[in-house]
Amino acid sequence: MSKPKSSARQRWRGLLPWLVPVLIVAVWQLAAQIGWLSTRILPAPWAVLRAGYELALSGELFTHLGASFARAATGFAIGGGIGFFFGLINGGYRLAENLFDTTLQMVRNVPHLALIPLVILWFGIGEEGKLFLVALGVFFPIYLNTFHGIRAVDPALVEMGRSYGLNGWTLFRQVILPGALPNILVGVRYALGFMWLTLIVAETISATSGIGYMAMNAREFLQTDIVVLAILLYAVLGKLADVAARLLERTWLRWNSAYQPA
Amino acid sequence: MSGIDSKEFERVAEQGLRPANGAAVQVRGAERRFGERTVLSALDLDIRPGEFVAIVGKSGCGKSTLLRLLAGLDEADGGALGINGKPVRGLDDDTRIMFQDARLLPWKKVVENVALGLPGKKWAVWEAARKALAQVGLADRAEEWPTRLSGGQRQRVALARALVHRPRLLLLDEPLGALDALTRIEMQRLIEQLWREHGFTAVLVTHDVGEAVALADRIVLIEDGRIALDQRVELPRPRSRGDAAYAALEGRVLDRLLTVQALNARNQVRGKVVAIRTDEVLSEVEIEVVTADGRRDSVISTLTTRNLREHPLEVGAEVVAVFKSNEVALALPR
Repeated sequence: MSKPKSSARQRWRGLLPWLVPVLIVAVWQLAAQIGWLSTRILPAPWAVLRAGYELALSGELFTHLGASFARAATGFAIGGGIGFFFGLINGGYRLAENLFDTTLQMVRNVPHLALIPLVILWFGIGEEGKLFLVALGVFFPIYLNTFHGIRAVDPALVEMGRSYGLNGWTLFRQVILPGALPNILVGVRYALGFMWLTLIVAETISATSGIGYMAMNAREFLQTDIVVLAILLYAVLGKLADVAARLLERTWLRWNSAYQPA
Repeated sequence: MSGIDSKEFERVAEQGLRPANGAAVQVRGAERRFGERTVLSALDLDIRPGEFVAIVGKSGCGKSTLLRLLAGLDEADGGALGINGKPVRGLDDDTRIMFQDARLLPWKKVVENVALGLPGKKWAVWEAARKALAQVGLADRAEEWPTRLSGGQRQRVALARALVHRPRLLLLDEPLGALDALTRIEMQRLIEQLWREHGFTAVLVTHDVGEAVALADRIVLIEDGRIALDQRVELPRPRSRGDAAYAALEGRVLDRLLTVQALNARNQVRGKVVAIRTDEVLSEVEIEVVTADGRRDSVISTLTTRNLREHPLEVGAEVVAVFKSNEVALALPR
């Protein structure tokens, strides 16, 4: 849709958000090189990159990345799936709402990270405890937004669907779910944030693999470059998850002009 | 495309040409109450197959309620409604309704909206939907999102969506109310043309008497939940608004619409104006009435001074004081 003469300007617009991060990194590198910053406090960006490169060569980096990613994905699938299910039935049926919603709201008010001591007692320091925490952190944003999304579907459209012969599954598939989808995807984006947050905490407490473990291990040996690398990796993973969520919005909500690139 | 089933294609394609027969509608003593409020009471109405009936009335008179009962979207508290002799029970495949707003699904392309709920294979259904879109003049917009269309175009899509089901009874719930005057006239012509081609029975609820006169074989006026006027429209089609007979009929129905409200009210007293007290904003008119046992009593009516200026009253004038049945409060004397 863009006119050719504005393409240069658009490219500039695309680069603009990266200007500040690039400047910060440049200043940081400079400060480390001329000795303003002690490497005990903060290593130079270059040192962080080199640490990453070495860990990548040894394959260690990918083992940890893979372990963290698998945990995040599994926890998200379990917690998100259960949250989606309860959101659907509580949003769709008053009886289910009366039965479950109060209980879920009470549980929601407990910060899930406060359960860590209990989780360690229940599951020990194995995988289950970490998956449990991630699933719990992901559950509520998905549940709340799915519930709200189902409730917010325009009743006029539902009535229209019924009067045009839709019912049960077809009504759900063609009217209710697409109507709730914008809200559900908002829930997904929140949930992805909670997913990484929970994972970071869970992995730093007790783990034998994963980025959190890598960071804690490096701390013991005062390897600040690896600690910073781990932090940056979390940032990149978080950003990637967000980009994925945006992509979903752009494909599934194509009809909604609010979700199209400007 | 090896999966094309030629029989299926013919079946769906033929539907686009075969005129559907209109359905007959019978309403006997229909009643509908919402809490304390009676919206329809003992309403009788017969509609012949293929007839175009317009229902007019003030807002809240129950005309949309009647339409929703016929559509099976709502249930009557009493009486019987039948379509082709069968009692209305829930939604019927032969009945389709067009709402005041188009109610298109924004996440479906125009053609998918038209194909909504049509049984059959996807390509055959889309073919039928495209044909219906062509009938309303929107064949070239099939692949667009509904948000890209104007209000009039959306209602045309809604009309195509209703017609693609080959309804024998089409219910129109003020579908043109939100459109500008020019688009509205275009839509009226389109509806009339498609009604003549397809032969369905049409029931149009409208607050626009001109629209009723332009389209209907019969105009039914509902007031206080019952039929106050059943007027046949004998004007030849196509009707033109400039026509004297057209204007006369429109005027007659409008007059009836305005006076019937007062005459039909069940809560009224006759009397004579004995005093008028005027203030800047509000005025009081004292009316002397004779009660059933011959005593004289007085009723004081408060109205805005502006209203009184527009409809002047004099002391000694004979008037009818009307109470809205749902606004009368009764209290025990102390």
